[in-house]
Amino acid sequence: MQEKIIFKKEIPKLVKELTKEYILYAPKNVKGNIEYKRVNDGKDIELEFLNSKVPPKEIVFPRMETMFTYTRNGKNIEIQKSKKVEDKNIIFGIRPCDAHSFVLLEQFFNFGEFKDDLFLNKRKNTILMGIGCNTPRNTCFCTSLEGHPFKKDDMDIFMVDLDDRYVVTPISDTGKEIIKRLSWLVDAKEEDLEKAIELSKKAESMISTTLEIQDSYDFLDSEFSDPIWKEISETCMGCGSCSFLCPTCTCFDVIDEEDQYNNRGRRMRIWDTCQFCLYSLHTSGHNPRDSSIERCRNRILHKFSYYPTNYNLIGCVGCGRCIQLCPVNNDLRVILRKLNEIQKKEEKTIVA
Amino acid sequence: MVDIKNENQKIEEKMRNVARDLLKEKKVDLIIGYSEGTLPLASAPVFIRDEQEVDKLVWNNSCYVNLAKYLIPNIRENINGELVDLKVGIISKGCVARSIIHLLVEHQINKENIIIIGINCNGILNRRRIEKEIGAHEITETELSGDHLIVKGNKFEKKFKFNDYMNELCKHCEIRAPPISDSLKDNIVGECQEVDSLEDPFEDIVDFEKKSADEKWAFMNEVLKDCTRCYACREACPLCYCNLCFVDQNLPTWFGKTSEISDILIFHMVRGLHLAGRCVECGACSSVCPMGIDLSLINRKINKVVKDRFDFVSGLSLEKLSPMMTYKMNDKQEFMLEEN
Repeated sequence: MQEKIIFKKEIPKLVKELTKEYILYAPKNVKGNIEYKRVNDGKDIELEFLNSKVPPKEIVFPRMETMFTYTRNGKNIEIQKSKKVEDKNIIFGIRPCDAHSFVLLEQFFNFGEFKDDLFLNKRKNTILMGIGCNTPRNTCFCTSLEGHPFKKDDMDIFMVDLDDRYVVTPISDTGKEIIKRLSWLVDAKEEDLEKAIELSKKAESMISTTLEIQDSYDFLDSEFSDPIWKEISETCMGCGSCSFLCPTCTCFDVIDEEDQYNNRGRRMRIWDTCQFCLYSLHTSGHNPRDSSIERCRNRILHKFSYYPTNYNLIGCVGCGRCIQLCPVNNDLRVILRKLNEIQKKEEKTIVA
Repeated sequence: MVDIKNENQKIEEKMRNVARDLLKEKKVDLIIGYSEGTLPLASAPVFIRDEQEVDKLVWNNSCYVNLAKYLIPNIRENINGELVDLKVGIISKGCVARSIIHLLVEHQINKENIIIIGINCNGILNRRRIEKEIGAHEITETELSGDHLIVKGNKFEKKFKFNDYMNELCKHCEIRAPPISDSLKDNIVGECQEVDSLEDPFEDIVDFEKKSADEKWAFMNEVLKDCTRCYACREACPLCYCNLCFVDQNLPTWFGKTSEISDILIFHMVRGLHLAGRCVECGACSSVCPMGIDLSLINRKINKVVKDRFDFVSGLSLEKLSPMMTYKMNDKQEFMLEEN
């Protein structure tokens, strides 16, 4: 299908049209933080953003979610399942790394015989209308993780920012359908497409971090008790910033809240993280991840070892949020480089 | 004109010399300090065991982490099959030293194991405020020039007046170096200061106090609603050292854990109350909040109440117990009946 052009001044028109049928989430500047929020007016969208602080996973995997409610009548308990949400969502402006995170989230919530309907239903009803990154951040490293600042495969509609206009490429069938309905879009010219390719190359060259992820995988596969983990975790304070605001972290805690006075209650799930003290605490009182050493190690293992082993995908998209937000500047890039260095040394000794 | 960069270099040089000597003379096993961060407006806490590595220590105005946090639980190492408490030298601006003093008052650490390496702090930058003002752009470089901070990024350059962009708490801080007392003089090396009386008019919370109850409620709702409950504030707080925080009590559950505003509010309010007469106003909680929430307001309000009622300021003396640790027959108690 032919690429189209949408001018930035036409964004309010686009929003008006899309919101007739969809709930539109777009980057918004909320008290200085960029977040994907529900938008009804195109003027509210922050188009000059790099990436959001809170990842868009929140739209399909909210911070808290009611799984069901119940009422109690003596010994009888009646369960009311959460209503199936049939809202159709569009995430406008999602970045390629975050779009890829949705693929990773799906691996977890759709694993084997265990289907998480709450997530999958929302995911099924969510369309990704993303924009390539003309200016990746210094902390970005998607290209080391099979990603690219202009990767479009994980989206339904992909756009490239050409200053005053976007080149719009429909990717999936749903995307093609939507673009077809927006009959007022004009066709992209050859020069627009050329410029888009140019920008893609430029963006790729701007990413300065390269990491040998295979080395990290090999290290993690064998060096569970290496003393490096102590060094890496020494300054970690054990807050959940890195994982709460990670687009690929999926852990949640299930809690029951009972309102005894009204004989009712609800079962909720809320975000959880392997950095917390309750995370792997057993009922016996034993905690196999008792200190920051095990907790820091688990986060790295999960992303760079368990994900590749279980799903054949790397569990990190290289968005750099954890790097920007870690209060003690425990930089993921530095951690991975340390691991890789040890791995390289070991490989050398084996060859020698 | 003040030259912040020059000030920082002097602080850094003195601090390194003291740290080097301590390690050389084997007076400490370990130095906890700050090292260069990998991002602008960041610093990374660092543990140094070798005098050759002392030059890793830096002082810049982004050393916002309160290093006293690392003293609990005691830092131990396995030496010849035995777990031994290490002797720790800790780079201490005024508020870090005050935390240590308060931790000593609460019997959480051993005085014999701590050497306070005092520095004369010249203020911490409010990085969240700067980031918010830069908005959606990325800060790639910062530079101090005279009394200004120059922030650079792709296609922009902005100048911030250092004194205006310090943490609110730093702006009125009177205890920039460790407060010295007779009982602590063997534990402090480097800079220190004597603190007799404090003039803190609590001007920063005047606006808040003027609000009506409804307005306060609306204001706190607005401030706290972005909280993701990652608990970075708690983890960064040197005085939040409970083995199991009230909010993590789950047998049975004491407090709601959702991100509904009522649960968020109650977490921050109860944490605030637990810090009554204990908070040393280091501002670490606000600096580490990923959402940029200014939590110090709650603690400032409570500290004002403690100051007015009990004439107590935390972390100044080893001898004086904090109001929540003690009881006097003539403690004011009219608030039990009525509070205006």
